[in-house]
Amino acid sequence: MNAKGAVLSADEGMDRAVIEWLKEALKREIFDAVLIPVETPAEDAFAYLLIQNPAILDRASPLPPVMPVQGGKAIGRLTMRGHLNDRVAAVVRPCEARAAIELTKLKQAHLTNLVLITLDCPGVLPLSDYLEDPAAGAARFAEAAAQGDRSPMRPTCQICHRFSLAQAPGADLHIGILRNGDGAAVIVPGSAEGERILEKMEMTEGDEGTRLVAQMLERWSAQVEEVVDAQLERRRQAHAEVQAAVAGADRLLDTFSSCINCHNCQRVCPVCYCRQCYFESTALKLPPDNYLARAASKGALRFAPDTLLFHLGRASHMALSCVSCGACEDACPMDIPVGQVFSLLADRAQDALGYVAGRSLEDPLPLVAYEMEELHDVEQPYIEIYHEQEVQDA
Amino acid sequence: MSEKQEFVPRIIYFMCSWCGSGGAETAAAHHLHYPENVIPSRVNCTGALPAVHILRTLIEGADGVVISGCHPGDCHYEDGNFRARRRIALVKSLLDSLGLEPERVWFRYVAHGEGRRFVDTAAAFNDHIKSLGPNPLKTRSDT
Repeated sequence: MNAKGAVLSADEGMDRAVIEWLKEALKREIFDAVLIPVETPAEDAFAYLLIQNPAILDRASPLPPVMPVQGGKAIGRLTMRGHLNDRVAAVVRPCEARAAIELTKLKQAHLTNLVLITLDCPGVLPLSDYLEDPAAGAARFAEAAAQGDRSPMRPTCQICHRFSLAQAPGADLHIGILRNGDGAAVIVPGSAEGERILEKMEMTEGDEGTRLVAQMLERWSAQVEEVVDAQLERRRQAHAEVQAAVAGADRLLDTFSSCINCHNCQRVCPVCYCRQCYFESTALKLPPDNYLARAASKGALRFAPDTLLFHLGRASHMALSCVSCGACEDACPMDIPVGQVFSLLADRAQDALGYVAGRSLEDPLPLVAYEMEELHDVEQPYIEIYHEQEVQDA
Repeated sequence: MSEKQEFVPRIIYFMCSWCGSGGAETAAAHHLHYPENVIPSRVNCTGALPAVHILRTLIEGADGVVISGCHPGDCHYEDGNFRARRRIALVKSLLDSLGLEPERVWFRYVAHGEGRRFVDTAAAFNDHIKSLGPNPLKTRSDT
């Protein structure tokens, strides 16, 4: 097999290596700008910066310890109104790239001239944990990431199995940093565009190099595979636990009972893109008689109403595009495990319709496409018992 | 007066305006009866019935929802019933994951001429919901 990819030597740390690579690419005019997380001057948050000046690139963090803004949302904001005329490299986590791909299919982003660069993601810390002490948080993140320990990360990151290229193949270039043992990373093309970029960067090497790269690639993908298997097992277990905790009307309402209707989960969701959210529209703002009638039928009505409808309805709108990033849970001020619940709903719903959100631009959106022969278990079979009964009665 | 009150479910029957409600018309022409607690609600096409309406119906007090559209290949809009089938699969998956009884939602094709099938569906679903019992969400005030 042909060794596809190159070695990115990281003598001065992985971040430095990625930054130097990006600077070189800017110098060679392979990209005109880079969209990448950068620590804010206050040193308590990270924000995506669209960088034109290479000097600012020095401050970038390709893998920040937290995700205050989902990168898919940043890419959507950049390209919603049309495709890019200049070439931009977006350095994002795999879940952010998957969200960008979903947004593109939903016609809310354009990936023309945008090069998606992803990295093996160790997860991110919950925002609230990080904010208690940003410096200590960053150190804790670095240590856990180096050891492949996901226990301090967000619950959805702890059960993520789409953290690398194999399970999230939509990126143009992927940087494999999963402990390679020798302080180097591999940079792997995920598309023809990625291969062209590696060629332009003169990162295709001679015979001797090829063997070394092939070795490293093999070691890296074996390691990724190992972690994916372990994560899948953990995911199955966690989803079973979440389901046991929320299944049934009573437990479900208990789960969402502390919801304050702030709709933060919807606002930060990368794939919740509607300009006017149905659940904030006048469709659900009704005359008082309506509420009185509902209170009469139920005995009482909680205000603001439609809390459960918001969560279930939102799931029906975005579960098929949900990338299980966990941004919703990070944004919840009431610590409702909304990301874990949605990750369960999304996995099951996408399974039912044979779809994986953000896997590729080619898979059609599941509610747009259909097959003539499918899902027959949804159709209620017609048993003519009732007919016979009535014939006898007559 | 009966000493024990029988459970009378509230059932919403969403039908498309071409085949589903056509089936209801045929049933009427033949003087076929269906349970009075089944409340018909016409939508233009089952493919145009949002998942949210099904969920909202279940949260706001219905014990069951039954949806009828044209047979495959007969849709007035070519493919509305195929889209509906996908959307109902989604709703059923969500309800199933959350332990909210996906069997409270039925999807069955009824053609314009199938008045018998329409009343049978209403009667069979009514009996099915009676055996399931009341929807636990309908008495919860904190939804």
